[in-house]
Amino acid sequence: MAQEVCSLKAQLEEKEKEIAHLKNKLALLEKSNASVLEVQDKVTPLNPLTAKPALSNEDIMRYSRQLLLPELGVKGQLNLSGASVLIVGCGGLGCPLAQYLAAAGVGRLGLLDYDEVELSNLHRQVLHGEENQGQAKALSAARAVKRLNSTVECIPYHLQLSPKNALQLIQQYDIVADCSDNVPTRYLVNDACVLSGKPLVSASALRMEGQLTVYNYCGGPCYRCLYPLPPPPETVTNCSDGGVLGVVPGIMGCFQALEVLKIASGQASSCGQQLLMFDAQGFRFRPIRLRPKQADCAVCGESPSVTQLIDYEAFCGSAATDKCRKLNLLSKDQRITVQEYKSVVDNSGLHILLDVRPLVEVDICHLPFSLNIPLSSLEQRKSEDIQLLQQRIVQLKQQMAGDCQPPVYVICKLGNDSQKAVQVLEKMSGSELDNITVKDICGGLMAWATKIDTRFPQY
Amino acid sequence: MEKLSLPQVTVLYFARSAELTGLREEELVAVPTPISSGDLWALLLRKQPRLVALQSRVILAVRRQYVAIGNQRLSLQDGDEVAVVPPLSGG
Ligand SMILES: [Zn+2]
Repeated sequence: MAQEVCSLKAQLEEKEKEIAHLKNKLALLEKSNASVLEVQDKVTPLNPLTAKPALSNEDIMRYSRQLLLPELGVKGQLNLSGASVLIVGCGGLGCPLAQYLAAAGVGRLGLLDYDEVELSNLHRQVLHGEENQGQAKALSAARAVKRLNSTVECIPYHLQLSPKNALQLIQQYDIVADCSDNVPTRYLVNDACVLSGKPLVSASALRMEGQLTVYNYCGGPCYRCLYPLPPPPETVTNCSDGGVLGVVPGIMGCFQALEVLKIASGQASSCGQQLLMFDAQGFRFRPIRLRPKQADCAVCGESPSVTQLIDYEAFCGSAATDKCRKLNLLSKDQRITVQEYKSVVDNSGLHILLDVRPLVEVDICHLPFSLNIPLSSLEQRKSEDIQLLQQRIVQLKQQMAGDCQPPVYVICKLGNDSQKAVQVLEKMSGSELDNITVKDICGGLMAWATKIDTRFPQY
Repeated sequence: MEKLSLPQVTVLYFARSAELTGLREEELVAVPTPISSGDLWALLLRKQPRLVALQSRVILAVRRQYVAIGNQRLSLQDGDEVAVVPPLSGG
């Protein structure tokens, strides 16, 4: 009898443990389900965000080190909890920005990006990890930010900001941060902020330099007040062809976070009529005092001509992406494919292979036997480089029978600069250089790497 | 008689203007003063013709203050800093 009681008690205890375990499991699942992030592929209306009436004990502990600042205090922290910020671009600027805004307790973060995480992003886009490659950047960033502070509402937008959706989206946020990587998007975000009356905290970075300004804020200028005309597309350098040291957008994104936090918490930004320039090489910060907003500005002026969003890709003459454009400067008979070039090599055809990339890229990878003269040296007619090329042409002519024109095949990374170089060389042929036949190798070394030799590095 | 000497100013090149000139800074000697901001820009263009690519798409700052390229009259002094700042768009 006693033995049976004991055994039943033990069984009961076992079942109770099991029940407790299941309850725990369920609670955990329900909790993580509640914070599941839903990627938005279109703009939908959001519930109004209200500031917390008071800080919880957990809030007080979490934010204690910033609550101690008289500049912020409890009031500033409560203001942050009621503030929403839209981050346009979750790349080198957007990652540190989102990180610090979430950590500081901003109520709602909209994280917008149309791209997916790639290996070449990771050196600067520090919210994404190796395991996130191929994922939507907006989602990857939102997940990372959630881990940091689960109380922040994160809305990942995996969509292209466009004249159709920008106003509807931007109207739902208090502050907009431009962390984009291309000129058309910068004009689009600017105009949408002016039309909906939102402050625009804007940063940019390239190579070893950064810039920061708060536009459309307290009587200060907008982006168009400073740059009424977009730069010609061929003069714009982006991070994928100009390069950038990851920490430089990192620093600029942190500055953006600083200004956003000041505005969101109710302090004033000091960047409203100021352009801050950062020269990372010389470690110099240089603030430039800007003029106020311009009465004749096309969008924020007294009689604006832009009263609704326009076609920004047409306005700028370039696509709203930082991916490289494909130029088409030459006719078909001025170009050969990588396959055709491969057969020239296989048949030991006499030729010069001219690589017109900058030296720093040639150091990364190059084809054997190529002669390197950067496009800029050709354009500037650098005499030692022209002499070198002329020597090689003369040598080749001696090796060739008859008096045919030595063929020069021009290559670069993607096949844009090589086309420009063909145009320059054709002008020089027969004058500054002996007569040559110049052809561009379509698609450049990256086409070579994908179509001919998959062991050749891509960058 | 006061001796007339024209000021020497330092020109700083940022972003694309540094690429186009191949320089981060250079000295500009004997700059006439006062000078209009338009004439100052024209002077820079004579010195660095490739800057023409940035024409009307660049910020010019004198003593860290924005100047509109046009009729604005500038009194320059020895050691003044002129910055050429095209926009950056990368991120
Ligand atoms: Zn404006």
